[in-house]
Amino acid sequence: MYFDVNGKRIFATTGGKKFDNSLPTVIFLHGSGLDHTFWGLHSRFFAFRKYSVLVPDFPGHTHSEGPPLTSIESMADWLNDAVESLCARDISIVAHSQGCLVALEFASRFKDRVKSVSFVASGLATPVNSALIDAAENNPEAAIAMMVGWGFGSAGHLHQGPVPGNSMVAAGRKIMRSNVPGALAADLKACNAYSNGKTAAAAIDCPVQVILAGKDRMAPRKAGMELVEHLHNPELHIIQESGHMIPQEAPDESRLLLRNFIFSNNPSG
Amino acid sequence: MSDFYEFDTLSLHAGQTVDKEFGARATPIYQTTSYVFPDTDTASSIFNLERGGHAYSRISNPTVGVLEQRIASLEGGSAAVCTASGMAATFCAITAILSQGDHIVASSQMYGGNISLMKNTLPRFGITATFVDPTDIDGFGKAIKDNTKLIYGELIGNPGLDILDLEAIAKIGSQHHIPFMVDATFNTPYLCRPFDFGANITMHSVTKWMGGHGAAIGGVVVDGGNFDWGATDKYPTISEPYAPFQGINLWEEFGPAAFATRIRAEAMRDFGPSMSPMNAFLLLQGIETLSLRMDKHLSNTMKMLDFLQNHKQVSWVSHPSLPSHSSHALAKKYLPKGAGSIVSFGVKGGRDAGKAFIENVELASHLANVGDAKTLIIHPATTTHSRIDAQALVAAGITEDMIRLSVGLEDIKDLQSGFEAGFRAARKFAGE
Repeated sequence: MYFDVNGKRIFATTGGKKFDNSLPTVIFLHGSGLDHTFWGLHSRFFAFRKYSVLVPDFPGHTHSEGPPLTSIESMADWLNDAVESLCARDISIVAHSQGCLVALEFASRFKDRVKSVSFVASGLATPVNSALIDAAENNPEAAIAMMVGWGFGSAGHLHQGPVPGNSMVAAGRKIMRSNVPGALAADLKACNAYSNGKTAAAAIDCPVQVILAGKDRMAPRKAGMELVEHLHNPELHIIQESGHMIPQEAPDESRLLLRNFIFSNNPSG
Repeated sequence: MSDFYEFDTLSLHAGQTVDKEFGARATPIYQTTSYVFPDTDTASSIFNLERGGHAYSRISNPTVGVLEQRIASLEGGSAAVCTASGMAATFCAITAILSQGDHIVASSQMYGGNISLMKNTLPRFGITATFVDPTDIDGFGKAIKDNTKLIYGELIGNPGLDILDLEAIAKIGSQHHIPFMVDATFNTPYLCRPFDFGANITMHSVTKWMGGHGAAIGGVVVDGGNFDWGATDKYPTISEPYAPFQGINLWEEFGPAAFATRIRAEAMRDFGPSMSPMNAFLLLQGIETLSLRMDKHLSNTMKMLDFLQNHKQVSWVSHPSLPSHSSHALAKKYLPKGAGSIVSFGVKGGRDAGKAFIENVELASHLANVGDAKTLIIHPATTTHSRIDAQALVAAGITEDMIRLSVGLEDIKDLQSGFEAGFRAARKFAGE
């Protein structure tokens, strides 16, 4: 569906069901340069199990009007504006990578809105290699190749996956090409500049879950464990064989973990 | 590991997760109609496209799935759907986006089955086509109407061997917001990946070089994932709610795999042209050696071209690698490794000489196929293209004396010796 946030036309998939703000809401947040389709093997599942689902394209990504946002903090503010415009309630946030940084800020600053947070493949911060930022600004195809190349583990690079016929690596490239120019660079610079992770993590008081990947080359397990250390009583899971792109590389495992956590901490009647 | 696996590695490994129970190295043949669901929730979620998985082998099958993912990886596409044949692939792709009243702009130089489908069969369902000389780029633009929904052509035209100018035609498609679909059977992704030049959809008869052994019929449609189906209201089958799946909007939910998902959700379910697991297995064995075979096909082709060009009983030889061919420059651009292993030539003495040649040539098999490991020959005017009219024959670049040769992998000396037997029989018709 399309809706308006601060005068800009924003797209979010609702998982195939009409958005209903009387139901608990699961909001899925995508990572740098990606879009709503990244969560396609999770969003529809919750939408058909009595949750309202919202998977927005951040501004400047695929179907959402730009310009892209330039800081993690502004993305959290934007998310709050989106939530407010839809009167969404009882929110479970499910976030991947850069989306986790946004979730840290959102859940720590807008506590009353949030019932639970699931952090997927992230740390407290996401320092970005200057060569990648430079490529994103000056040679987007090279930057996309780096993101996809580093992002997926060996299963992804061998085009394996549970959806018959689909190549997640190729789809990742196509998604990143669909953003407005500069969106990936803006994302990466926002990640690189974010430094409030420890404070934000400590301020979150709702149930939290952390899902890490054993073969993550973008947010290594060590960085993920630092996040775990600063959260209050997190539920930790490590999917050993996955690379950074857990929602695509290990959709069945991650969906089950999310299902159990959200059903338990934010039940829908 | 390196960031991305190379072609030969993908040819061997892409799509296959090694069987966890027995560790089978070859892709297992899952010869089953259906799959036991662990619980009702899993069953309903597979049926509702909430997750991946298999429900019934008409829709998807694990062995076929490996082949689909392998071909998608080699083509650089976001998703692929295998079908029972190449013609089924073409039909499924067309019907995924075209409906009654819609129109195709197609190259006039295509496999006779494609021409017949678009000229005779699809019009019965209200879908029409305008055929354009593949070398007439402006003609593609001029043929586009308000109801045109697809541009279609073979990269290497069959059997005239004219090369489509992919970038020029993709540009026309982009200007009119019409997807450009390429039949890439004759080139395979080893010689050219049309998505790299702006095509949006490819299809293959994988019966041919991809499988390479003449043992299994099959087809595939590959979704380039690079067409914006939602930019206009011209493609409602992709960008508007689809009732059978609770009003799902495929474009919104699946993005770069929306087109392939429509084929699987509709064509495989409602028409049912599924590939058998056994055929998928055989075709996978072929793809494992695709680059090796293509290199040998190409080297043998160059030697046969030299042999035919210097043979006194050959009136003409056509292949895009020859400077005399009208598509030579395009072949160098799009097919730098080589322009395929189909050669057209004429035997002096006309139709009767051609007939005598075909009936007496040794080693080369007289049959209606191409892309086998074995060398094949046929007379297109009386066989593969016999169901199209005289005007269409001319448009397809077919002459009465044309012999189509699909160069195989035999030892070149044996192959040339076998051809001499055919030429000896044809000699009396050449006035010698």
